[in-house]
Amino acid sequence: MSNVFPTRTGTETDVRLPFSFIMFAVLAFAASQLMLLGAIPSLSSGAFRLPFVWAAAHLALLGFALMTAMGAMYQLVPVAFLTPIWSERLGFWQFAVTAVGIVAFAVSLAAAPNRAFLPGLLLLFGIILFVWQMAMTLRKQETKTVMTLFVATSLLFLLLTAAAGGLLAFHFFAAKGANNHEVVFGLHVLFGLCGWFTLLIIGFSYKMVPMFSLAHGFSLRPARYVYALYISGIAVAFASLFLRSHAWLAAGAALLMGGFAVFAWHIRAILQKRMKKTLDRPFQFSLAAVAIGLALHVAAFAAIVVGSGRWLGIIVYLFIVGWILFSIIGYLFKIVPFLWWTHRYSEKVGQQHVPTLKQMMNERAVAVQCRLWLAALTLAAVSLATASVPLLAVAQTLLAGLSIAFAGTMLAVFRK
Amino acid sequence: MDVRELALQQLKTVIDPELGINVVDLGLIYDLKIEDGHINVLMTLTTPGCPLHDSIAGGVKRVLEQIDGVRDVRVQVTWNPPWTPERMSEDALRQLGHFS
Repeated sequence: MSNVFPTRTGTETDVRLPFSFIMFAVLAFAASQLMLLGAIPSLSSGAFRLPFVWAAAHLALLGFALMTAMGAMYQLVPVAFLTPIWSERLGFWQFAVTAVGIVAFAVSLAAAPNRAFLPGLLLLFGIILFVWQMAMTLRKQETKTVMTLFVATSLLFLLLTAAAGGLLAFHFFAAKGANNHEVVFGLHVLFGLCGWFTLLIIGFSYKMVPMFSLAHGFSLRPARYVYALYISGIAVAFASLFLRSHAWLAAGAALLMGGFAVFAWHIRAILQKRMKKTLDRPFQFSLAAVAIGLALHVAAFAAIVVGSGRWLGIIVYLFIVGWILFSIIGYLFKIVPFLWWTHRYSEKVGQQHVPTLKQMMNERAVAVQCRLWLAALTLAAVSLATASVPLLAVAQTLLAGLSIAFAGTMLAVFRK
Repeated sequence: MDVRELALQQLKTVIDPELGINVVDLGLIYDLKIEDGHINVLMTLTTPGCPLHDSIAGGVKRVLEQIDGVRDVRVQVTWNPPWTPERMSEDALRQLGHFS
């Protein structure tokens, strides 16, 4: 018989590897949100570029989002691409190097930004090890798909983001490069938020959305247009930074908006073909992040057209929380119970009663948290728009409290 | 009860932990060959690269091994033909929120 696989795929990852990354990430997230409490006055006036805010933002984006993405990829790449991780031993080393690099880098950013270059090099080394690991793993995939294209491109942008970040840190370290500092900063944000995180989340959404909704009979063809439009948007925005052209930047933002709009429409089309009528709350939360992402792409385009730097700063903040962090939080609510279930119960299926994945977490608590995350983001948006310090304090306190509750929910899974 | 009926009854205890539905009602079992204490199962999963591949296929093997007289169970997972929703039973569809 053709296309028959043995019972064991041999592709599953040692569960301790993704867990190491994800647990570090959850704790880093709570720490980052607590740190931001101290930066409320400057944040509400639109001043984001302060050492303490940089440290908290990098702890959220590197400590939480990047480490979660890495941990999730160690788990998802083998199952989505039917290819085992190239070297698990390298994975554990890469975790250690990256974790130490992130902590040292965040501390340096807060305490002495001009010395952040050296721990930044350690972090860069950790990222290079990860990209190498994934490149070697993807290389072995027999049939490349559109998902491979998204994930491989996002990895390239991860390297470019790290390189641009390294260059920024070098500017402070060597007290040189002030002339092109703004351009490099723009590249760092563009590559990191659009090239790395967004392309990665879009790529894996094409696996997870049909899987969690049991969708069948849909076409993946629109994904090509999403890729073409979004990559064109990044390329045009990239060029605009060097040309210092407002019109090119607006054209790049329009292409990014178009690409994301096609993605959101495509996800909706996939969901219309679903067999599971009622979707889980965490998955609904990840889908809400897609809607938020679309609204923020539109808002970013509008802010660029009218030339509002203040609004663009606010939109970038909301984009990080509402699109990137919310997508990751929603999927973590699904991934962590799955990982622990696999570790604890996989070998017991057929021998004793095992819980379902839903039963691995308190669903009511998760539902309440999801609503509160959305409320906190709405509050943060209103407070930033109106430059209200008290309102932002409430929003950030809520976000900090939720990040601790989220860490507690994740840790509680281990008691199941 | 003959071995085939027993086997199907046992298979109904293997639940997809994501959907909460057993593998028989989901229509994952393509073929069940029983001969002289040897059972060969040909089955699929709802999606290629399903992360629950080993858990579900391993569970199928273990429940069948518990039947008296069964000496050997071989489980093969195939993607050809791919699973389609039409293979699900009414019970499975009801659990997924259809007919309500």
